Amino acid sequence: MERRTALKSMAVAVGGLISLPTWANGWNKATVQSFNSPLTLNANAILAEVVETIIPKTNTPGAKELGVHEFVQKMVADCYEPSAQENLTKGVAITDEMAQKTFNKPFVDCSAEQRTELLNQMSKSADASAKGFFSLVKGLTIRGYMNSEYVMTNITKYELIPGRFHGCVPVPSKTISQKPTK
Amino acid sequence: MANFAIDAVKETTYDAIVIGSGISGGWSAKELTGKGLRTLVLERGRDVKHVTDYPTTMKNPWEFEHRGQLPLKVREENPIISKCYAFNETSEHFFVKDAEQPYVQEKPFDWIRGYQVGGKSLLWARQTQRWSEFDFEGPARDSFAVDWPIRYADIAPWYSYVEKFAGIAGNKDGLPTLPDGEFLPPHDWNCVEKYFSQQVAKQYKDRHVIMGRCAHITKPQPVHLQQGRAQCQHRTICERGCPFGGYFSSNASTLPWAAKTGKLTLRPNSVVHSIIYDEKKGKATGVRVIDATTKQMMEFYARIIFVNAAALNTNLVLLNSTSSRFPNGLGNDNGLLGKYVAFHNYRAGISGEYDGFLDSTTDGRRPNSPYIPRFRNVYKQETDFLRGYAAGFSAGRISRTSQDGIGADLKENLFNPSLGGWHVGSHMMGETIPKESNYVALDSNQKDPFGIPQLRISVAYDDNDDKMVKDYQEQMTEMFTMAGFKNIKVRDDKRNPGLDIHEMGGVRMGKDPKTSLLNKWNQLHACKNVFVTDGACMTSTSTQNPSLTYMALSARAVDYAVKEITKKNL
Repeated sequence: MERRTALKSMAVAVGGLISLPTWANGWNKATVQSFNSPLTLNANAILAEVVETIIPKTNTPGAKELGVHEFVQKMVADCYEPSAQENLTKGVAITDEMAQKTFNKPFVDCSAEQRTELLNQMSKSADASAKGFFSLVKGLTIRGYMNSEYVMTNITKYELIPGRFHGCVPVPSKTISQKPTK
Repeated sequence: MANFAIDAVKETTYDAIVIGSGISGGWSAKELTGKGLRTLVLERGRDVKHVTDYPTTMKNPWEFEHRGQLPLKVREENPIISKCYAFNETSEHFFVKDAEQPYVQEKPFDWIRGYQVGGKSLLWARQTQRWSEFDFEGPARDSFAVDWPIRYADIAPWYSYVEKFAGIAGNKDGLPTLPDGEFLPPHDWNCVEKYFSQQVAKQYKDRHVIMGRCAHITKPQPVHLQQGRAQCQHRTICERGCPFGGYFSSNASTLPWAAKTGKLTLRPNSVVHSIIYDEKKGKATGVRVIDATTKQMMEFYARIIFVNAAALNTNLVLLNSTSSRFPNGLGNDNGLLGKYVAFHNYRAGISGEYDGFLDSTTDGRRPNSPYIPRFRNVYKQETDFLRGYAAGFSAGRISRTSQDGIGADLKENLFNPSLGGWHVGSHMMGETIPKESNYVALDSNQKDPFGIPQLRISVAYDDNDDKMVKDYQEQMTEMFTMAGFKNIKVRDDKRNPGLDIHEMGGVRMGKDPKTSLLNKWNQLHACKNVFVTDGACMTSTSTQNPSLTYMALSARAVDYAVKEITKKNL
């Protein structure tokens, strides 16, 4: 991380100060992070637990902590067909209904094991809405999580400025150094 | 008040005007100002200053709202530009949105444009292969289009001239099909690419796999440091604009160099309407411009005009420059302006796998790849189609990540990808034959948002292209099989012409004013103080990437123009 910061400052030194021109004020950080959830507060809380069940906190943060549930909603709202939005809203409701039916309590009150069981059921469900919701959310959860600052900085170690290309190097014994424990 | 009018003319008069600030416009500007001419560069798009106007260049992937993907609304509003491989959330601000300049597709054509200072030089894929004698002799030998008025020897010193300044990485391979240039150190091969190159060399005496020559500074020379450019940092996010100036762009290289002379006036937001022709003087006197911000029409005057608006827009500007002397467009006495448009055919590709070298992989990123120069019909006609194709080639290992399970199991899978085998792939770059029936023209009714006639584009593939696609697939399959690659799959994506972003012609060079628009100095036969040195001037397309040739032709044409001015011929 220190090396990357150093390289970033070097880039600034080489190229001059990087500031945003007026026409590009759509790119500032506040805009990127501002977000209006299309879901109700309750639905948002359920989705947060769904993504957390898909990628939970271990010795590394879970999906909820990294705000992946918001990423899922943002992607569905902005980048997907309107039908995906319906699928998301409906799926959250189905998740809660299934929790009520199976464990007699809301999804957010279920234990981690119960939530996992419910999502596993949904993944194999004959109901297209349940199955579609699960696969949509799982795909986006993986994408949001793996592309998060935390994971790209600490686990997969993305390099903005590699500064090199070597065509033939021995395969490293382990591609990613950090292993989560259960 | 009379004085006021005289002053106004003086203030809008320059020695030279350059229309367009992309790769060729940047070079025209650098050469003109370098020779002491007060030069006005007109750019229809907004200003983009090197580094400060690259808003995404230092962003990490997680800093993009949609992680690089474009919102549905943007894709729906822009069906044409959305097909371009480089158009995404990180680079969309450098592409022309579909509604900005509508055009008529008489036949499907995906017109990819970049309107800003620097044009598409911010976005190009940076391959810079020289053309060879086979390319300049092609039309005469194979009886198509019209003979080029120049040969390789005419342009060779100018290739050297622009290569040294731009910074071209490459290896001297000693191939007649792809002459060597002034190279910085080449990029590295990976094991499988090197292996394939050796296998091909063993098996075929006339086929070669070389490292691509590209406009990246692999080892800065004093002339690059003087431009304020630094070594390529292997980021491979070039389409965001490079803050290091690691690759060649007008913004990093030619335009700031021209500005340092004190002779450059750069005017962004200036949509060129037409070139003004003075019948009494028998020459062009200036350019009509619509200010993109105020929508006001204004005029600028100069002794010489370089048209570098990018191939199809250069055609558009000339077609729209009518007068009683030239009712069908400037210099268009023979009616051929806008005709003989051609392009490169990128339709076909091939992929495969290789199970050797499993103990090796790559480290870092490379903004370049190996290249297979044309090997078909080079010395004689040997197939049932004219000309040939070059190809890109590359190999890489794939990281495989299991997405099975949920919970901690899934997390463990995601954090522990396995390194898959080597994947190999290639794409073709076919030469298409310029034909009269492939043309652009002005639409008589429909106008763009500036009130300028829309361009009608009527460009399509023909049988020759289909046969070439088939041959590429067959020959590459043979080469891949010979090298022991497995699971070989060929494709033909049937993409529309245009998407290759290598459109050329319409204002072709030639020896005879009856059959061409430009002479051997890129000068309009019928209007000597107007020069065209972008893709519009190309008589044929070759199989090589064209940008380096535009640079060389621009520098050469300016040298000639300034000598003619000195001799008082212009």
